[in-house]
Amino acid sequence: MRRLACLALVIAFCVAGVSAAEEPVFSNIEESLTCQCGCGLTVHSCNHLQCPSALPLREEIREQMATGKGTAEILSHFADKYGEKILSSPTTSGFNLTAWVTPFVVVALGMFFVSFTLLRWRRRTPAAPAARSDSPIGAVPGPKSEHQKTLDRELDEFEI
Amino acid sequence: MIELGSQAILIGWLIAAYSIVMALAGAWTRRRDFVASAENGALAVWGAVVVATAVLLHALVTRDFRIEYVAAYSSSTLPIYYTVAALWGGQKGSLLFWALILTSISAVVVLQNRHRHRELMPYVVAVLMTISLFFLSLLFFITPPFEMLAVPAREGRDLNPLLQNYWMTIHPPSLYLGFVGMSVPFAFAMAALATGKLDTTWIRTTRRWTLFAWFFLSLGNLFGALWAYEVLGWGGYWAWDPVENAAFMPWLTGTAFLHSVMIQEKKNMLKVWNMVLIITTFALTIFGTFLTRSGVISSVHSFTQSGLGPFFLWFLAFILVVSIALLILRLPVLRSENELDSLLSRESTFLFNNLILVGIAFAVFWGTMFPVISEAVRGVKITVGPPFFNKVNAPLGLILLFLMGVGPVIAWRRASWAHLKRTFAVPVSTGLVAGIACFVGGIRNYWAIVSFSLIFFVLATITVEFYRGVRARQAMVGDGVFRALTQLVAKNRRRYGGYVVHVGIVMIFVAITGTSAFRIEKQVTLNQGETFEIGGYELRYDGLEERDTLHIAYLMANMAVFDKGVQVDTLKPEKRFYKKPEQPTTEVAVRSTLGSDLYLVLGSYDADTRMATILAYLNPLIGFLYWGGAVLTLGTFIVIWPTRVNVPVAAYSPAAGEATEHRS
Repeated sequence: MRRLACLALVIAFCVAGVSAAEEPVFSNIEESLTCQCGCGLTVHSCNHLQCPSALPLREEIREQMATGKGTAEILSHFADKYGEKILSSPTTSGFNLTAWVTPFVVVALGMFFVSFTLLRWRRRTPAAPAARSDSPIGAVPGPKSEHQKTLDRELDEFEI
Repeated sequence: MIELGSQAILIGWLIAAYSIVMALAGAWTRRRDFVASAENGALAVWGAVVVATAVLLHALVTRDFRIEYVAAYSSSTLPIYYTVAALWGGQKGSLLFWALILTSISAVVVLQNRHRHRELMPYVVAVLMTISLFFLSLLFFITPPFEMLAVPAREGRDLNPLLQNYWMTIHPPSLYLGFVGMSVPFAFAMAALATGKLDTTWIRTTRRWTLFAWFFLSLGNLFGALWAYEVLGWGGYWAWDPVENAAFMPWLTGTAFLHSVMIQEKKNMLKVWNMVLIITTFALTIFGTFLTRSGVISSVHSFTQSGLGPFFLWFLAFILVVSIALLILRLPVLRSENELDSLLSRESTFLFNNLILVGIAFAVFWGTMFPVISEAVRGVKITVGPPFFNKVNAPLGLILLFLMGVGPVIAWRRASWAHLKRTFAVPVSTGLVAGIACFVGGIRNYWAIVSFSLIFFVLATITVEFYRGVRARQAMVGDGVFRALTQLVAKNRRRYGGYVVHVGIVMIFVAITGTSAFRIEKQVTLNQGETFEIGGYELRYDGLEERDTLHIAYLMANMAVFDKGVQVDTLKPEKRFYKKPEQPTTEVAVRSTLGSDLYLVLGSYDADTRMATILAYLNPLIGFLYWGGAVLTLGTFIVIWPTRVNVPVAAYSPAAGEATEHRS
């Protein structure tokens, strides 16, 4: 349960990083848009100074910011005008949400599966004394003997 | 001469097909002579591909522009080392180069193992020759590298200027060695499945091959990053381009495989999982090639794009169907009686490490394919760019970093609380102190604080391990510190070499954290003599400088770099104008120090006023990327270096055969 809560927190953190930020920051918006010149980078990263795509887009970001819109509004303006492909990451609604959530769901399911498997394996493993029933130490029931404790300690120390 | 090249490919194709038939026939009829013939066939295929490659190289070096490939990817003014590198600069040549590496590796595998693993070898040869046959089929039927032009060209079109960089001479070969090297463990895994000889023989035999492939895949990725850093001029080194992802995914699953085979060796567990991992890794190398060459997903690596995609996809489907069918067939035998003493043990930590590595590989795969999925489901084109990958992979990467600190030192079988306390007291305190120090030092980027804490935690666990080992040796043998250290590593190279590789990876994490959290960037337009400041440096623009050669025209901005009022460097970011094909490129200028890189790009200039626009980046800690790679190399060499085998083997016998594959 605690693991699930942690995971939810991580997802929330990630998603928050995408959609929040009420006060628009120029470089963040640049980072959220993909340059259309074919460089494959964000508008922020495209370094073609005469870039036919990044330059007008930067200008348009400034214009949009001047109108007093928030980040989300500005980004939806760009998505409406140029199509969703201009956004550098999928949005966090509808089908696009699966882009964000699936990797974490897969890892969470994996964690569940691994933990479950490990527990099953441990249950299948005979209890320690029974496994050592051929040894005089293991045959002793109840609390660990001094010999057993010494052996455990020395085995631990041997692990170098 | 040119005919010899195409004939060699045809001969190679025929012998590869023959080898597959003879190897399988030999396995089924138990005819040793059939198998020996198939093995000799594999050597002959290698010979044929060497001849074909030599013919193409000769044509490139002698500038034989009658050949379409030579005319398309070289020119009479192209320097000789790029002319040789043009062998892998285009589609056809790179496939031939791939076939060369694959058949060379196959030949070495045959020579190494033909007298050792007689049961496995027929299938190993059959698998390696099937892969070779696929590449030779492409070379013979689909993209023949020796195609002649109807009218011989007088001059070549030249190699893409972006590829004319020294990384071009080492990045693709490293990556190909890594991709192709994974065929060896895959072939042995398939042989193990086919024969039902499912003990750890296939893993022990291919351990060094897996490390070899993993090492070159690591270097290939790293070289690619450094190349992008120097050539693309946007101040970064990893843009999560589909082709970068294509090389990164098999690295992740290959790393998981390297770790989980240790569990099978020690505890005879995870047999099915290891099969799944090696099949996935190999399939991802083919999938990566498909991504690079199909054009299904737009990428900056468009220079190898072609219509080959469907062939790779069919081959991928064939591999998956056959290997999964074999796996299902052997599932009852592979199900081992797994036993686990405790959840707090190295076994379980390694499983979580595997999970996270595969999870990151899945996240990368998912992000890379999501545009295609979105278009199929909604009919809408979308972009999944670097911000997505960074956000999704950052938390997973940090979990991995944490496990890297825990995994190697937690006890096998079961870890008692006393053991945990003793092992982790110092590392955990070190990590916490580092985190607090970051906060007190003014860092408010919480990702960076967590990352640095974990980095110090991992480094401390490794240091404690070395310290305890050295102390133990000193106590036992009475050596001095240095001798105790070298002996410690020499006596258990797999373990301590592994730690050194981990230090290399941690250093790469340092670089990633530094550059993503603390990068400073500035864009300024300057008149001659004007200055600006970035990250403690003062830079003065001293005008433009021009230079012209037969091949390239250069335009450089002279930038004097001052540190505390003293001139420490002159940087010359360039614009280059390649003459064939006419194409401008940007060459960055970098001043590297231990702490950071000052990275300058000449954006634009005004020919009349001589004004220049400079993009300046200060990339903190990026040097750790280079040094991390060097440490990783050192660690891999420590692990992979052959161990002297003390078991005398006079002649082959089944028992001696087993003995020679003694592990290190």
